[in-house]
Amino acid sequence: MLEIKNLHATVDGKKILNGIDLTIKAGEVHAIMGPNGSGKSTLSYVLAGREGYEVTEGDILFKGRSLLGLEPEERAREGIFLAFQYPVEIPGVANATFLRSAVNAVRKHRGLADMDAMTFLKTAKAKMKELQMDEKFLQRAVN
Amino acid sequence: MAANAETIETVRNLGGEYKYGFVTNIESEILPKGLNEDTIRFISAKKGEPQWMLDWRLKAYRAWLKMAEKGEPTWARVHYPKIDFQDIHYYAAPKKKALKSMDEVDPELLKTYEKLGIPLKERAALAGVAVDAVFDSVSVATTFKEKLRGLGIIFCSMSEAVREHSDLVQKYIGSVVPITDNFYATLNSAVFSDGSFVYIPPGVRCPMELSTYFRINEANTGQFERTLIICDKGAYVSYLEGCTAPMRDENQLHAAVVELVAMEDAEIRYATVQNWYPGDKEGRGGIYNFVTKRGACRGARSKISWTQVETGSAITWKYPSVILQGDDSVGEFYSVAVANNAQQADTGTKMIHLGKNTKSTIISKGISAGRAQNTYRGLVRVMPNAKGARNYSQCDSLLIGDRCGGHTVPYIEVKNRSAKVEHEATTSRISDDQLFYCRSRGLSGEDAVSTIVNGFCKEVLQKLPMEFAVEAQKLLGVSLEGSVG
Repeated sequence: MLEIKNLHATVDGKKILNGIDLTIKAGEVHAIMGPNGSGKSTLSYVLAGREGYEVTEGDILFKGRSLLGLEPEERAREGIFLAFQYPVEIPGVANATFLRSAVNAVRKHRGLADMDAMTFLKTAKAKMKELQMDEKFLQRAVN
Repeated sequence: MAANAETIETVRNLGGEYKYGFVTNIESEILPKGLNEDTIRFISAKKGEPQWMLDWRLKAYRAWLKMAEKGEPTWARVHYPKIDFQDIHYYAAPKKKALKSMDEVDPELLKTYEKLGIPLKERAALAGVAVDAVFDSVSVATTFKEKLRGLGIIFCSMSEAVREHSDLVQKYIGSVVPITDNFYATLNSAVFSDGSFVYIPPGVRCPMELSTYFRINEANTGQFERTLIICDKGAYVSYLEGCTAPMRDENQLHAAVVELVAMEDAEIRYATVQNWYPGDKEGRGGIYNFVTKRGACRGARSKISWTQVETGSAITWKYPSVILQGDDSVGEFYSVAVANNAQQADTGTKMIHLGKNTKSTIISKGISAGRAQNTYRGLVRVMPNAKGARNYSQCDSLLIGDRCGGHTVPYIEVKNRSAKVEHEATTSRISDDQLFYCRSRGLSGEDAVSTIVNGFCKEVLQKLPMEFAVEAQKLLGVSLEGSVG
């Protein structure tokens, strides 16, 4: 599903990734470990397409398609999800609002119609119950 | 009967002194550019105004001439080329030819209406397509007016009010913004074109939001608009001004005056959404929005709240204020001011505490992008007898990009020891982290900015009547397009 081939990347001109190869098949879980500064976060950011991270050599294929050249939101809509170590706060924006926008952005990309507010709330609440999260989190501002 | 006699008198006077030679053609819609006493007499005669109104205008004009000698005020943080007051049409600019169908409308304009979610029916009217061809606005407005009349509410154009409700107008006009208050208000007092007049009788709660959209016979207003809203004891009204659709105008200078009067236990809510043409990316050709807005909480327990979303105009210069005369009266100011590209804004409010136990709340959100300069300028003044005055002010600036400016100039003058005045201010940027977080969840760059900005302005947007709130959110997104990247 995910193929990283001979990936070289720099940040602010500094070489961080020096030729990474990694193949991950559907359903697999891989844990990447290493000392501080070895490039773990950099690899995540490069996969997600963060600005400031430049790929100098190599390729990243997701479901057979190269991610290089795709904007972060395009990669997200394709199915790349990055969990942040330090999630940002967005004051004044309710989690429900934000999540629904995100869901609909992905749906639009896949040619699906927008999920209306009612359906979304129902779906979200069901998932939250599964995860044993308090419903109140929906109305709190992002993070 | 008296009005007719006065009109004839005025016209006769006009005939005697008029230099331009078209006095016989009073029906003419076009007055050549230029400003002198004859212009004022022409305007007044054309509107069929009573003598007292003409006298009032002339008094203002003479005062303005003296001010003009000294020059315009220059203390604000706005820069613009000197205005040639002789190079302006003071009565109805040449009317644009009405378009025959939607096919003739600029596709860019239609795209904007689409983005703002403006209902299809309204798009035609806004774009200048001959209204009766598409949308029967006249009948809608008529049924609406009938309902109001039944309750004793007066809602009409200022021109009509000066003729039909002369005594009421004469009693209140200039009582909140005096003739000589400031340069542009004085000019407005001399040459005001039209506006709204609202009177709500005692104990009546206006059942619907009054909007300028429903005023029939709207002449080419917007240039020197004059609005007067009076809420008698225990009355309530919510008034909406403007619309989210980008508005162009032949006239560059907009110097409006709005006066609000709230008696005992009365409440006036005034909301504005302004999206006048801001000029091109270099700031050329945009509208100058120099406005004086002031409300007087005359009676005890009265309340006036101003809510504004200002995204347009090349220059926005206004301080909607409240004079808290009545004991226990309340003043509120909620504002979102956006300045992008080369726009400039110097806006804020004045809360003057006079009565006992008066309260004021100020929440100002300034957003700057591009090379814009956005200044909040506010005054909280507690006079010596204003026992128990309370004020809370919060001014937040959001900067997008690294070439814009956000400035806060708060004035706090407290002359009574029992006052409690709180002021908070924050300055922030849309961080790359926030943008990346949104994008990593599938939101486009534009949507990310829009989401973050709307979150920033939420407190203010919540104060708008619902229809406006939804439109305003979309408007914020549209006005900041291209600001990141």
